[in-house]
Amino acid sequence: MKGTMTMKLKTLTLLPIAILSCAVSVFAQAPQATPPPPAAPRTVQFPRPVEKTLPNGLRVVVVQRSEMPLVSAQLLIKSGGEVDPADLSGVADMTGALLTRGTTTRSATQIAEAIEALGGSINSGAGWDSSVVSVGVMSSRVGPAMEIFADVVRNPAFKDEEIDRLRKQYLNNLKVSLGNPSAVARFAAARIVYRDAPYGHPISGTPESLPRIKRDDIAKLHGTFYRPDNAILVIGGDISPENGFAIAQKYFGDWQKPATDLPKIAMTTPASEPGNRRVLVIDMPEAGQAAVFAARTGINRGSTDYFRGIVSNSILNGYSGRLNWEIRVKRGLSYGAGSQLDTRRWAGSFIATAQTKNQSGAEVASLTLAEISKLASGDVPDSELTTRKASLNGGFARGLETTGGLVGQVSSLAIYGVSFDQINQFVASVQAVKAEDVKNFAASHLNVDGTSVIVVGDAKQFLPALQKQFPQVEVIKVSELDLNSATLRRVVSKN
Amino acid sequence: MRRRFLLALIGCTLIAAGVISAGAQTKMPQMKYRERTLPNGMRVLSVVDKSSPTVAINVWYHVGSKDDPDQRSGFAHLFEHIMFKSTRNMKAEMMDRLTEDVGGNNNAFTADDVTVYYEIVPSNYLETLLWAEADRLSGLTVDEADFHSERAVVEEEFRQSILAPPYGKFFYVMEQKSFASHPYKRPGIGSIEDLEASTLENVRKFHETYYRPDNATLLVVGDFDPKQFDAWVDKYFGPIQKPNLPLPRVDVKEPERTGEKRFTEYGGNVPLPGVGITYLIPAEKSDDAPALTMADIILSQGRSSRLYQSLVYQQQLAQMANANADLREDLGIFQLTAIVAAGKKPEEAEAALLAEIKKLQDAPVTAAELEKAKNQIITSQLRQRETNNGKANALGQAAVLLGDPNRVNTDLDKLQAVTAADVQRVAKKYFTDKNRYVFIYLPASQRPASGANNTPQSGNRGSSPTAREGSKLFKGAYAK
Repeated sequence: MKGTMTMKLKTLTLLPIAILSCAVSVFAQAPQATPPPPAAPRTVQFPRPVEKTLPNGLRVVVVQRSEMPLVSAQLLIKSGGEVDPADLSGVADMTGALLTRGTTTRSATQIAEAIEALGGSINSGAGWDSSVVSVGVMSSRVGPAMEIFADVVRNPAFKDEEIDRLRKQYLNNLKVSLGNPSAVARFAAARIVYRDAPYGHPISGTPESLPRIKRDDIAKLHGTFYRPDNAILVIGGDISPENGFAIAQKYFGDWQKPATDLPKIAMTTPASEPGNRRVLVIDMPEAGQAAVFAARTGINRGSTDYFRGIVSNSILNGYSGRLNWEIRVKRGLSYGAGSQLDTRRWAGSFIATAQTKNQSGAEVASLTLAEISKLASGDVPDSELTTRKASLNGGFARGLETTGGLVGQVSSLAIYGVSFDQINQFVASVQAVKAEDVKNFAASHLNVDGTSVIVVGDAKQFLPALQKQFPQVEVIKVSELDLNSATLRRVVSKN
Repeated sequence: MRRRFLLALIGCTLIAAGVISAGAQTKMPQMKYRERTLPNGMRVLSVVDKSSPTVAINVWYHVGSKDDPDQRSGFAHLFEHIMFKSTRNMKAEMMDRLTEDVGGNNNAFTADDVTVYYEIVPSNYLETLLWAEADRLSGLTVDEADFHSERAVVEEEFRQSILAPPYGKFFYVMEQKSFASHPYKRPGIGSIEDLEASTLENVRKFHETYYRPDNATLLVVGDFDPKQFDAWVDKYFGPIQKPNLPLPRVDVKEPERTGEKRFTEYGGNVPLPGVGITYLIPAEKSDDAPALTMADIILSQGRSSRLYQSLVYQQQLAQMANANADLREDLGIFQLTAIVAAGKKPEEAEAALLAEIKKLQDAPVTAAELEKAKNQIITSQLRQRETNNGKANALGQAAVLLGDPNRVNTDLDKLQAVTAADVQRVAKKYFTDKNRYVFIYLPASQRPASGANNTPQSGNRGSSPTAREGSKLFKGAYAK
């Protein structure tokens, strides 16, 4: 309650008394002038997942919540786009996507027809750190759905015809993405933060890498990583643990673990330091708006700084976070500004984003950096810390409201080997973070001098102003953008 | 933006309403709602659900983009943003203090026919939010500075949804040109010029005209005590007077189309050509609406759907292909769209879309297709109703747009009753040659040299491009 009526200090200056107000009113009697206080809160308990590991090494997790007759399931492979060979960007995602494009006994169309006839849906692909097949269906149809689900996980055909079809789709999707300033900025930010490290490439490949991917590359990746001792099955919703475990045993119990060891993957994310900071403009003369990104290395999911990190990010992110407040609410420069602390198995990234009219590109870049910088230089007032934590906790709880959200959260913890206790301890862990923790986190992990800036849009409208702030600014025409290289610049004479 | 675009193309019409069973073994839980109408005309609907200690509050105003004042396209949506500025007893952004700061959230969206405000909060804050919603219904006190800054935000929203994404303008133009007379032809996001022309006086007048208890429906779903709730509603909403002013309603009749029209539009930054086809269809309340919804699902939901199978999978003509029965209160459009795959021609994609229409007219859909669509509808309605806010939304659509809250519990039966013959009948009735408009979207570099006029019906390009894309919270609605 205390937080309810607290206006943040910085917001007070913004609220001029409405002198030129246009009062409109339609009351019979004067209404109450202050909001009634809240009643006593009720506590929340989230469902607890239960788990067991099959003899073949498959970890099985069931999380039951039966209010709606729906079930979601995910089969996760603990390897994703980061295992792509350097010249084959996109092979893990293509491998994942191809699972639902044909098995040894079902065609792509038969798979879609069978699942959709049940009213359900099935999807597959790779993310970072994991590949996934997910299915969602009414609980009365779980049996037939799981049979198809297991077939696509275990018996993919990888037909050349489907590989070629998917490759064309990916190339078309890339063309569309490369017409969107925010998508281009996101690709560039990954290259700037991770450079040539495995997280640096576009997850679904590049125009150059996709044509190089052969069936053998796909089969090899599948043979190496798709094995029960590198997999987790998460089933959630209207299903009991007993039934969930029985399904796991029935469909995955005889999935053989290969005799070979799983390859050990190790990598490091380059540190973002003043010496390697870049200020990059990608010139898209026809862009109707500029995308403004600030990007740098973040932390990994297992970091002891995790809660300090997400609380720090929540000060900047969200509707009433500092970025949106300064850029949208106070100045009307964007429809929305925010930030993400993307935590992965190895250090991920911190990225702040906004879209603004081309003329305001430089102003939004400087406002963004100023807000990141302030986090390390001053204590966050208690009132602000309290309300931002409440917002973070509320968002977490809302994310668990749906069957899909619940299964997604459990899957994310499972992939990173984080205890499921974190679900019910989330609120307490957030509450334990203090203002000085935020300041320290920002000083050690969000140093603005090592934070790169990417602006994608019609350069002539913002470049002069940006050059005043950053004399080192580089400009690359979108037609010369090379997503395969950490420089991002196509070298015409390369071959 | 990209996510939005995908939603716009892939997303199938959400049928809000819903209910009893049908598909094999799964029963759709009935929504047990309570209904009352206050003496000032405000309708109140509520559903108790104690499964989580939260509550969703919706206020639906029966005013939408079609009610934008003359020369003020986009005004209803701009006004929706202004509702978060200062009110009689609240400073600007106080709604965020009462929601976000206590672990809740809020937003609003403006659709063609309605404007909806909602909050999701810990249930112990229900009374606080009822007070706040009553306060902004009672009166706005926004000043010039806040008005101008929020208008700039909406202009950025226009750029973000229409100008920045590669096909924003395509969808905008398709909507603009699909209606001849009805105000649905003015895109809900408006244009920069019309937004710039709006004034505080427009704000005052719009609130006075449409934001009144007899034009509002309050919906609350979640953890509360009904008696306590009724008392709070009486206390905070009861005193608001019903104004003694007429409530204007759009009564423009859209003329029938009299022959195919073709439009070629050009845009900057168009990676692959776009093809769109629209047909006028009747109102959401029409008896033909369920069969049109079924046609939409059979054509475009999932990778086994007809358009995906034909255009994307087999012929590989399209990067994506979609159908959308865009049903609205007064009349709607049935839209077919495709983004043409690299190396293929728009004519090929257009012919393939038309071939699918012909197929729908020439033979009934199969029993398996119909059964599949019905199962897909049940699943999507169950998903919608997993959350309190989803339930409130379904109930609001039934009450405000379909005119009867109980349709939340009966519409699923109507959809389940659709036969293959019904789908064929509506395909023949509405997807006729004379009811067809065709849109081709090409990169500006392909614009013919001056002299050739390839765009017979299109004025108004360039500085005020327009389209309906927006968040798919609610068909083509624009959020806060």
